[in-house]
Amino acid sequence: MRIFVVGAGQVGTTIVQALHEEHDVTVFDLDQTRLSPLSYRYDVTTVEANGASRRVLADAGLVRADLLIACTSRDEVNLVAAMIAKGIAPRATTVVRTTNPEYLEVWREGQLDVDFVVSSEEETAHAVTRIIGVPAARQTDVFAEGQVQLVEFDVEDASNTATVGVPLREARLPADSRVVSIIRGDEMQLPRGDAVIRAGDRIVVIGSPQAAQEWSQLISPGARKVQDVVVFGAGRAGTAIARMLVEQGIGVRLIEADEDRARRVARDFQGARVYHATGLDPDFLDRERIGDTQVAIFAMRDDMKNHYAATLAKVHGVNFTVAIVHDTPAMEVFERAGIDVAINPRQVTAEEIVRFAHDPRTEQVSMLDGDRYEVLDITTRPGGEYVGLTFKDMPMRGALIGAIVRDGRAVFPRSDDVLRAGDRAIIFTESSRVGEVERAL
Amino acid sequence: MTGPVGGRRIGRARTLAVDVRGAANVVATLLLYLSPAALVPAAVALWYGESPWPFVAATATAAGVGFGAERLTRGEHRIGPREGFLIVAGTWLLAAAFGALPYLLSGEPQLSRPLDAYFEAMSGFTTTGASVLVDIEALSRPLLFWRQFTQWLGGMGIIVLALAVLPRLRVGGRQLLDMELAGPGAEDLSSRIRDTARRLWLLYVGLTAVVFLTLLALGLSGADDEMSLFDALAHALSTAPTGGFSPRQGSIGEFAPVTQWVVAVFLVVGAMNFALLYRALVRRHPGALGRDEEFRLYLFLLGLASAVIVLELFRADLFGAEESIRHGVFQAVSIMTASGFVSTDYEAWPVLATMALVGLMFVGGSAGSTSGSVKVIRHLLLGKILRRELDQTVHPELVQPIRLNGTVVEERTLRAVTSFVLLYIGFFIVGASLLAVDASVNGPELDVLHAVAAAAAALGNVGPAFGVAGPTGSYAPFSDFSTLVLVALMWLGRLELIPVVVLATRHYWRSL
Repeated sequence: MRIFVVGAGQVGTTIVQALHEEHDVTVFDLDQTRLSPLSYRYDVTTVEANGASRRVLADAGLVRADLLIACTSRDEVNLVAAMIAKGIAPRATTVVRTTNPEYLEVWREGQLDVDFVVSSEEETAHAVTRIIGVPAARQTDVFAEGQVQLVEFDVEDASNTATVGVPLREARLPADSRVVSIIRGDEMQLPRGDAVIRAGDRIVVIGSPQAAQEWSQLISPGARKVQDVVVFGAGRAGTAIARMLVEQGIGVRLIEADEDRARRVARDFQGARVYHATGLDPDFLDRERIGDTQVAIFAMRDDMKNHYAATLAKVHGVNFTVAIVHDTPAMEVFERAGIDVAINPRQVTAEEIVRFAHDPRTEQVSMLDGDRYEVLDITTRPGGEYVGLTFKDMPMRGALIGAIVRDGRAVFPRSDDVLRAGDRAIIFTESSRVGEVERAL
Repeated sequence: MTGPVGGRRIGRARTLAVDVRGAANVVATLLLYLSPAALVPAAVALWYGESPWPFVAATATAAGVGFGAERLTRGEHRIGPREGFLIVAGTWLLAAAFGALPYLLSGEPQLSRPLDAYFEAMSGFTTTGASVLVDIEALSRPLLFWRQFTQWLGGMGIIVLALAVLPRLRVGGRQLLDMELAGPGAEDLSSRIRDTARRLWLLYVGLTAVVFLTLLALGLSGADDEMSLFDALAHALSTAPTGGFSPRQGSIGEFAPVTQWVVAVFLVVGAMNFALLYRALVRRHPGALGRDEEFRLYLFLLGLASAVIVLELFRADLFGAEESIRHGVFQAVSIMTASGFVSTDYEAWPVLATMALVGLMFVGGSAGSTSGSVKVIRHLLLGKILRRELDQTVHPELVQPIRLNGTVVEERTLRAVTSFVLLYIGFFIVGASLLAVDASVNGPELDVLHAVAAAAAALGNVGPAFGVAGPTGSYAPFSDFSTLVLVALMWLGRLELIPVVVLATRHYWRSL
């Protein structure tokens, strides 16, 4: 596929990382300092020019492009780039990144001539709500219209002897689920029946939503359905998260330091209680019993403020903290500091965008641990390498099928079930082997 | 040192910041426009074979004064929001004076004193329904008609009428409309103020016509033998504006039960927000009614008060079952909508029923209606303000906009509501005290309830109160001073205090 990426910021870079091996990528940016690391590390073409210019795009050969991804930080530039692309290459798919939910709305109503619009805020909010749905999980995602759930857990507690320290085939694990990966330090293994989960491992499970809940109970007993969430920061991301939570019937308190914005949000958004406070004042946290909340989400603009506020909230007794982290390297800092989940809006946006570059048979992609692993939802074709084999005979080449969707229904395969052509496989793999997997199926 | 260019000097300090001449010009114009109103009772007089001259003379006088004053005050005017207050307050004072002319000119002995005639006219235009007449039926038919007609004119508002039908006033009409229409939140029905005023009046005329035809049908069908053509017209003119005047000594009580029910229903309609009514009826969104918070509270309070009074009447065993329900509901409706029709003498009702009636004098109907008093919407918003205050005592950082029907109400409006209610209570207390003190010096004999109820009834534009001014009584025994106090209360109450009270502040008149 020939892919044009306009914008080499954090989103653009993540996209290039994910796509450069399989595809022919051209990146546009006005800033050479952003382009040179890309051209140095990856085999991509870089163009130091305005990607929203018709001449620039045409000169770069847009006519032959299959996909144009406009992912600068400026919505209007992205829209203009996509519209120009539609004019030059009507067959190319256009994907636009936006931070303004209104554009998303306009696009959904069919008023924007763009194939796909991806909103960072919306994707972030989705990521947050998925996490909160499965309280013990680091990361979750749903496939096949919610019939299949992907969950990533950190196994901390060694005392759970039903799961930890016993070979998987003997462990009492929730039905309709499969451990597709055990990550220990830097090593990843695709577990067979004799594999053992140890304390400190990170595991990836694919199963039914019911099984995901059971796993959550198993990993972190006592976690309950979330009813009470505090969101720090009522910017676009914070508000989008709060809205989505309220839509799910969860009680939300929003804390905003800027008085005008607090008023505006309180006016426009009826479902949540809005407080005008910094969230850094211990008296306030104490008075409002913030420590008793089930989940605190930190969506302020400043990573450092989020970090401090989250730590303070932990001190006040908040059990589960989720932080929106804008700077990619800071992710690790947050996780080291004991923040339960760190979400990078640019990364979730990039993930969402990358799925447009996959084999057309791929319905969905989910990235784990940065972009090291991926879970694909891909339809098997007749004559595929694995088609007709039983699951126990399937060769393990850096991939493992966690579930299949057959005739629209999710099936969690046993070892002697057979993979048929036309099945949709929910398959875990390393990112570097995605192409291989797509060919094998 | 150089002097000012062109020999200019610093001018004389101008301390008066209100264009009084300009305001007087507009008031004079409005009076001129209002003057033909007295020709309607003149026609009635001709119909009944009586002398039309008092009415014609009233029209001529008002037109002459209006025309002359308008000529005298012509010139360059700066008419803005400031002058609006003066215009509204002045127009209503002059309108009442105009209304008093036919009473004085007709030589009716009960209204021969100018202050009494002025009281009767003010009570009419403000749709209060309080009367200094002892023997109502002694008045001639045209005079009785004029009493009813003043209520009808004042109901939707004199200025709203002017905005609707007359050539362009040289003033921004929106503010005047806001000042004259009852309560906050009487929304616009059109982007053009004139269209809004027209629609309101059209609806008002329509409502009056429906009341008239219904009452006439009751009379013609024999359901109510008492209801004549004149009675149907007279009561339609005072029911639509929730006025309360009746050409009968016994008010609505003289008519059949079915008439009393019909009037009660139309009073409930008349005290609804006309903008809401317009959307429900004309634009066919009846769902708007059910969703409107004020309307729901209005009905709830009406139901609650009726239930309390009816139960009390049952307990006291004053009437039979049907009468208890009818009088209980009718009196609750009549007092709450600030009408003042009387179906029976409620003077001797048990204490809780009496208290409920006095309490209802402070409730009123909906915003944008023809009713009086505080208005349900202010009670609703005040309740919300109080609840927020309580919430914020515990959660000082909580940002909590107050919503009405889902839309955020501006803090300015909320402050205005609070100040209105405080001012209202203040004027009520001062008024009641003045009445009580004056009565102890000049008579008549008033106990606390009577003084309180009379002040509340005048300020709330309700009409009848208790004691001397009760359902079968009259305001005639009050001294001149008390009469003046009551006139002032009616005027203040109809214009909803602020446009009048603001005239009493120093900073209204001066620029520094």
